[in-house]
Amino acid sequence: MNIGKYIWAALAIAVISHFAFIHAAPRVMMNVAIKRVSGAGANQWQFADRVTPLSRQIVRPSPDFAYSACSYDLSDGPVVITATPWNAYWSLSLYADNSDNFFVIDDREARYGAEITVVRAGRPHPEGASMVVESPSGRGIALIRRLAPDLGNYNAAAQVAREDVCASVASLTPAS
Amino acid sequence: MLRRVLAWMAAVLAGVALGAASAWGAMSIGGASFGQEVGQWTTNRATGSTAADPYTRAIVARVGLLALSSREAIYFNLDRDDRGEPLSESCIYELTGRELDARWWSVTLYADDNYLAQNSDHAASIDASHIPSGRWSARIAPVRGDATYWLSSREARRNFSLTLRVYNPQRDFRPNEETLPQLTRISCAGEAA
Repeated sequence: MNIGKYIWAALAIAVISHFAFIHAAPRVMMNVAIKRVSGAGANQWQFADRVTPLSRQIVRPSPDFAYSACSYDLSDGPVVITATPWNAYWSLSLYADNSDNFFVIDDREARYGAEITVVRAGRPHPEGASMVVESPSGRGIALIRRLAPDLGNYNAAAQVAREDVCASVASLTPAS
Repeated sequence: MLRRVLAWMAAVLAGVALGAASAWGAMSIGGASFGQEVGQWTTNRATGSTAADPYTRAIVARVGLLALSSREAIYFNLDRDDRGEPLSESCIYELTGRELDARWWSVTLYADDNYLAQNSDHAASIDASHIPSGRWSARIAPVRGDATYWLSSREARRNFSLTLRVYNPQRDFRPNEETLPQLTRISCAGEAA
């Protein structure tokens, strides 16, 4: 049996699968992260426990931040996201399903808080929405970081985070 | 015929296994060496960016998922001491630095699994809000001793690493060997003084 063709085939498959794994890895890991932060369902904020050595949701978490995460899902249309202001650094960032950080706004640009409407790229923008952000994917993660390096600030951030909104526009629109 | 079918199956399996192993290797080994070296630290301005190449994306997904783009924050990693050795719990280090041209910064210690070390010291991070402006120095060791600022390496074992986060860097922020914190190994257990 001529084994040369099998070796060449194995090498060709190795090259193809190498690039396939590299391309797929961020999406697979984001998918895991999306599932982890959508314990109570999509389109709602989850205020994360204080980062400790037991925190295992996301790699390399910073213990200096209070995190709120929302896995957004645009399959029912646009999603409204608001971030309540905080007395120190805070930011609202959006991540596509391939892990790209495609949007970020912080307290320097939004001193009194942020309100955005996330729509799927290429879809019509809702009328009256003040700031529309186009998401390159139908699902992703919104993350609020509030600087809270000690327990007192973390507890205060937990109170502030209750005012944050992550909800589909359809669920906020009263039925006619 | 059966031998031929088995040979093709073996070729496919070997190819997929080789592809998976080389991809994992690129993400693991590449994680330690990707990006730009700035003194003892490494950084990659493409982190989190929509312009990141597939390898950067894959490496960041493994070691820093949900990182911010460099417009908002710059991340620097350090996993070797000033003698080029991997960082170890059995050694004592000194990290010295000075004010950075940024709104806020922190240095956090991570075990080699990319999570905080499994200890109850509450000393995983030092940050700008607790350190006065000017020059500063922090000890990295399993015990605090007489240090004012301390990063606990207890239970971090071998191959732990540091991440420097620089938030809202100013326009004239120029990271280089002088401006970024510098790590010096003081001693290691069993090492002749």
